[in-house]
Order: sequence, then C-alpha cells, then structure tokens
Amino acid sequence: MMHSLIQLSIAVLLLPLLSFVVLIFFNRRLPRMGDFIGLGLVGTAFGCALTIFWQVVVQHYDPAFRLAWDFTWLDFGNVPGVGPLQVKMGIVIDNLTAIMLAMVTLISTLVHLYSTGYMHGDPKYGRFFAYLGIFTFSMIGIVLSDNLFSIYMFWELVGLSSYLLIGFYFYKDSAADAQKKAFLTNRVGDIGMWLGILILYSQYHTFGYQEIYEHIKNGDFHMSQAWLTAAGVLLFMGCVGKSAQFPLHVWLPDAMEGPTPVSALIHAATMVAAGVYFVARIFVLLTPEAQQVIAFVGAFTAFMSATIAITQHDIKRVLAYSTVSQLGYMVLGMGVGSYSAALFHLLTHAFFKACLFLGSGAIIHAMHHEQDMRWMGGLYKKMPWTFVTFSIATLALAGLPLTSGFLSKDAILAGALGFAQVEGGGIYYLVPALGFAAAVMTAFYMGRQVWLVFFGESRTHLKPAEDHGHDAHAAHASHGHDDHGHEDHGHHEVHEVPWNMRFPLVLLATLSVFIVFSPDPLDGGKGWFMHLVQTPATVVASTEAAHEGANLSVPEAGKLLAEAHTDTQHVETAPAAHAEAASTEGEGHGPVYADPRQAEIAHMTHANHWNAIKLSSLMLLAGIGMAFIVYVFRIIDPDKTAQNIRPLYLYSFNKWYWDEIYDATIIKGSMLISKILAWFDANIVDGIVNGVATIFRKFAFFNGGVDKYVVDGMVNFTAFTVQTTGAVLRKIQTGKVQTYLVMVVVAVLGYFAFYIAQLIK
Amino acid sequence: MLTEQLLSIGLNHFLTISAILFGLGMFAVMTRKNAIVILMGVELILNAANINFLTFSKYNGGMDGVMFSLFVIVLAAAEAAVALAIVINIFKTFKTVDVSRVDTMKE
Repeated sequence: MMHSLIQLSIAVLLLPLLSFVVLIFFNRRLPRMGDFIGLGLVGTAFGCALTIFWQVVVQHYDPAFRLAWDFTWLDFGNVPGVGPLQVKMGIVIDNLTAIMLAMVTLISTLVHLYSTGYMHGDPKYGRFFAYLGIFTFSMIGIVLSDNLFSIYMFWELVGLSSYLLIGFYFYKDSAADAQKKAFLTNRVGDIGMWLGILILYSQYHTFGYQEIYEHIKNGDFHMSQAWLTAAGVLLFMGCVGKSAQFPLHVWLPDAMEGPTPVSALIHAATMVAAGVYFVARIFVLLTPEAQQVIAFVGAFTAFMSATIAITQHDIKRVLAYSTVSQLGYMVLGMGVGSYSAALFHLLTHAFFKACLFLGSGAIIHAMHHEQDMRWMGGLYKKMPWTFVTFSIATLALAGLPLTSGFLSKDAILAGALGFAQVEGGGIYYLVPALGFAAAVMTAFYMGRQVWLVFFGESRTHLKPAEDHGHDAHAAHASHGHDDHGHEDHGHHEVHEVPWNMRFPLVLLATLSVFIVFSPDPLDGGKGWFMHLVQTPATVVASTEAAHEGANLSVPEAGKLLAEAHTDTQHVETAPAAHAEAASTEGEGHGPVYADPRQAEIAHMTHANHWNAIKLSSLMLLAGIGMAFIVYVFRIIDPDKTAQNIRPLYLYSFNKWYWDEIYDATIIKGSMLISKILAWFDANIVDGIVNGVATIFRKFAFFNGGVDKYVVDGMVNFTAFTVQTTGAVLRKIQTGKVQTYLVMVVVAVLGYFAFYIAQLIK
Repeated sequence: MLTEQLLSIGLNHFLTISAILFGLGMFAVMTRKNAIVILMGVELILNAANINFLTFSKYNGGMDGVMFSLFVIVLAAAEAAVALAIVINIFKTFKTVDVSRVDTMKE
C-alpha cells in the first residue's frame, strides 16, 4: 500500500502533464484558450505539494525524514554481456524534495497567473500554457526521482521544454538560434552525465541512488578512486550544462529570447537550479578531488558572469548573467561542502530571482517591449508596485541583511572560507576571493540596474530614431507579441501592470524576507531550512591526502580562529572537540560527521560565520556605494570611465568573448573535422565502396557472359535440337491416311525383308 | 503344252493372282485421290482375300473358306454402303471427294 504522501506526490507529478495533454490538443476549442485549465491544474498541484510540505516540513520537522517507493518499470531479464538488467522507477520524498516540490509548483502557479496578463493576446497563448505544463511536469519529475535513470529522462524532458519555450517566438531568427544553442550546449553536458551514470551502472547494475551509495559505502567500488572522481565530475557535467556553469554557460543569456515568464520560471528559478539539485542528490559520492573541481568551476562562473553583468544594456541579460553568477555560488557551495547552504541559496534565489524576472517582465510589458535599460528611467512613480517588489528582490540578490539572500549567500561564503582553510590555504583562497569579488559586483550591477530603470528622468526619447523604427517594426512583425491593446495609447504612456501580474510580484517579494526562513536576520543556520536539510555524510572513504590535509590545517585553523573570531564560543576548541561539542549541543550545528574532512569543513564554516558576515556586508556596502557614486551622485561618469578603461569595458561587454572563442575553436574545429571527415568519406570510404563495386561489376559482367553464352547456349541448343527434330518429324505427320498406309506397307515390307534375310542366313 | 500348262494350274497360280490383285488394290488405295477409287481399291483387296480363302478351301478340302468368303462379300457390300455414305457426307462438308484435301486432322 502506498503511503498517502506518495499518492499525493504522484498527483503533483501528473496534474501538470494532464494540463499539457488537454491544452496541446484542445486549446483552440476552449474558452480563453484554456488558460484556466493550466492555471487550475497547476494550482491544484501546488495545493497537493503544499499538503506534502505541511506534513513533512511542519508536522514531522525531522532532518532524517525519508519516504521511498519504487516499482520495476522494465525488466529485460538476464541480458547477455550485461547481466540482469532491471530499470526501476520510484519516488523519494525527503525534506529537500518536499521543499523543492512546494517551491517549483508555487513559482509555476505564479508564472501561470502572471502569464495570463503578460501573454494576453498572443496567437499561441494556449500552446504557451501547454508548454508550461510539460515543463512543470518534467521539473517535478526531476525533484521526485529516486534513481539516476529516471532523473536523466526528466532531465532531457526539461531540456526539451526549455527548447520549446526559448523558441516560442520561433519566427525570430535570434530565438530560433537561441533555442538550438541551448539544446546543443545542454547536450554536451548531458553526454558527460550519461557517461557518469554508466560508470556507476557498470559497477553496481543499478540506477537507484540509495543502492549505489550503499555499495560505495561498503567499498564495492572495484576500480581505483580516480574512477569515482571521474564519475563525480562527469555527473557534475550534467549540472554544468543545465545550470549554465563555465564553460557551458553561453546558452543561458541567449535563452532570454523566450517570453519573460519563461525566463523567470525556467531560466532563473527552477530548471537551471535542477543542476544544483542533482549535485545535491549525488553529493555523497563526490570525492574531495571532484568537490574541488566543482568549487573552482562555481567560483570562476560566479566571478566571470558578474563582471559581464556590469556592462550589459538589456535588462533581461543583466538578470541572466546575474543568474549564472548566483548559480555559480550554489555550485561553489556544493563544491566546498556547504551542502545545505547551497540548497538554501537555491531556494531563496528561486524566489527573488523569479521576482526580478517577473518584475522586468512587467517593466518590458509596460514599456511596450523596450528591453534596453539605456532608454528607461524614472519608472518608480509610474510603477510603484513593481518598483517596491523589484527593489526588495534586488536587495535580496545583493545580499542585504534582513533579506533571504543575505542568509544563504553568507552561509555559502562562510563555507568557502572554511573550505579554503581546511584545504590548506594558498590557491584555495581563490574560491572565497572570487566569491566575495562577485558579491561586490552583484551589489554594483543591481544598483546600476535599479537606478537606470526606476530613477532619473525618462530617457525614452533619447533612443536613436532608426533603431527605434527598426524595433517597432520588429515588434509589429512579431504581431501578437505586442498586441496587448496598448496601441491606442501614446508610446510614452507607461502605467502599472494589472493585478494578475502584480500579485506574483508581491508574493515573491514577501518570500524574499529573512523572517520566512530564519528568526535571526544574521544567521540562516538557526532557520528551519538549515535544520531540515543537513549535509549528508559522505560515502566515499576519506583518502590519506584528506586526512593529512585535515591534520595539517588544524594549527593554522586555530590561529585563524584566534585572530578573526573572538565572539563565538568555539575559539579554543579543536575541530574534533567541536564535533563533540556539537553533538552534545544538539541542534543548530548540523550532524556529527564520521568523515574527518567533512567535520573539519563544518567546523571551519561555523567558525567563519562572522567573518563572512562582516566581509560580505563590507562587499555589499562597497558595491552599492560604487553604484551610488557612479550613477546617483555622478562623481565618476560611467561613460567616460568606460572610455578610459575601454579594453576592459569591451572585454566585459562582449562577454569575455566566449562566444567568439567557441566559434573560433569548437565550432570552427568541428566544422574542420566535419570537412576532413567528409573528405575521408567522399574519397576513402566511398573509394573503397566504389572499388568493391567495380570489382563486383567486372565479376558480374564476366558472370553475365558465362550465363549468356554457356548456360543460355546450352538451353538454346536443347531447344534448337528439339525444334529441328520436331520440324523434321512434323513432315511425316501429313494428316493423310494414305501416307500412313504407305508407311505401314513399307514397314511390313521392311520386316519381311529382314525376316527373309534372317531366314536365308 | 498349253493344256499341260493349263492342267498344271495349281495353288501358286491362284495365290499369285490374289497377290497381284492385292497389290493393285493396295496401289489404288495408296495413290488415288478420289475417295470412290480408293473404295474400289479396298474392294480389290477384299476380293484378293476372297481368292485366297477359296483357294486354300479348295486345296484343303473344307468348306470353311467358302463360308468365310461369303461373309466377306456380304460385309463388303455393307462396308461399301457405309463407306459411300461417308463419302457423301465428306462431299457435303468439303465440296470434294479428294482425300488429299480432307486433312483437317493435321492442324
């Protein structure tokens, strides 16, 4: 008998699918193109998810809560060369799942509601809701999966729905290109992920997380530790693609070609976070080496995309790069072992970034599809609701104390500091350093964005005329995109968006306040999330190197603690003692780790909590201060500065030239390889084939000759003989009785002659 | 001499006559084209056979051959009637009694 929660979660999974099926087939026959069905079904799914959330998170409130159910989906029996091949499907519900379910369905519901306003009048309105339905279904599938096989399937399904929604305005070339780019870039990561799954499958003949972890824990891994690292890094590649980490980050900014609600749902809150969620699911099998790779990738991504976001003009592109940067934070958090902090950031980021995207959508909607921030300005009077919600989300993103973003980002940065100290400093300090640098820039570019959009004078009239005409033309060409019943208003008339677009903004902004997550505005560790989602104990046996590193860092860590950390109770305790203390203290400090490295990191993270708070607040002030100096007080003129540091400016504005680099290396390289292969194909392979064909032709020709002259000759000769004989014998058959009579007489006479000759002899 | 010759007429002479008669009949049957003439040839052959019957009857001293030849004569009459009827039908069908042109069986 299934547990009622499992049944509910299946309902949550299937309701959006039902919405998709109904809407994709019948949207034209339904009133309002069926948007109420999409909204209703996903809203119902949200209700179910909320029930699960209530029961799991509020009623149980147990970090170890876990509920699993599975069934054998496919049984191939004993496959030769592979062994028994069984594919199971299943659902696992733990605290993380319950929280993610509620988050995904909530944002999906809000985006559905928002879209009824934003997409109003679009000719493909119904299909849009259908696509949202299948996306929600696949995302929930990822969240609920209990094995690598089904998560891979849903992984591809979200890739598909992302593809469909990025290219929703597929008649625009840029959108069609962006959707292809997104899909192909994701494939690169997915191949790696699949290889990682196969490495694990080849060892254990199962896809289930739990079974694989049991096996690893029991030391069943028959290959060297390096293979386990490889499996971890390869699985992480799936995250690199889906969560737009360097070097596969290039698709996400282009994905902003999709409608803005899609950017909010898929490319900010849920799908891109699926990569981080997946790393969380495989967290326990990551070796320290794999974690270091992940930490550096995340740190570099966070830093790089923050530098790019500073110079972008398009309101959505700034947010896109900001998303990449924040995803970098989450991945960094995973890499440094701050499991719960990274997931905490995932959750808080989902709310405030969805709010930012929906806010930017509201602005774009109100500005008649103007996306360039240079031509905005002065909107705070005209759009007060949007302004307030957008600002709250901005502050959360920048990490101002009292917001949710502060809690989670601070936890990650503390983890990064702890990680650097445990790993022994040196190069490892790059990770927190890049993280803090990204934090400065985040505050700066978000300050710039808010100022450019909401303050100052309206700069709509500054827009170059020909550019404007082109844009208006484009908007007109993409009819329906702009068909919102505003045509009769003057172009400069900007007004607040309707309630169905305002409500999601307000709700999401509310969820960006600290009190939702933690009673203490400065410490997320005291909140329910960090209590419920705790770093699971690693199943990888700690290596000698890790032991040594931990031991070596103890004195150094103690020294650092003494310097920087005088106001908490753990100054004088060594890590091991801390672990004991934590166990006696019980709550608030996470579980006690058997693995010394994990214990060390947990301890150092906690020890660095106040450092991180101080540093990140400082960074925040620096960033916002810079934004004020540059944009509000105009002490430094941004345009002149850009001229002064033109190479740097261009480097950032052109996104570090990654697209160009990829074009010159990978794309040109692939083309070159393709050409070489095409030449090889046309000359060598075809040559062999043609050569063989020629030989066969010659042989066939010879064979044909034999057939024609020998075999046919014999047949024809037989026929000829028979014919000739027939022709001769035919003469005898005259049909006249007299002839026959003559023959009889001749024969009788002949016989007599013969008889007489015999007699005479 | 002649009488002696005549008195010495024996079996061989009858048989020779019969053979000549048979040969003539056979020749008529084989060479003539007119169906009537062929029938006449057949009559000659039958009569050659009759001569043989009578001859052997005379030299054997029984009446079997005589009886046989009487039956042959009766049969020949019946045969002639049937054959002539056939010839009349052939003439009606082919407008000729030339047997060389009555060769539809050849096709």
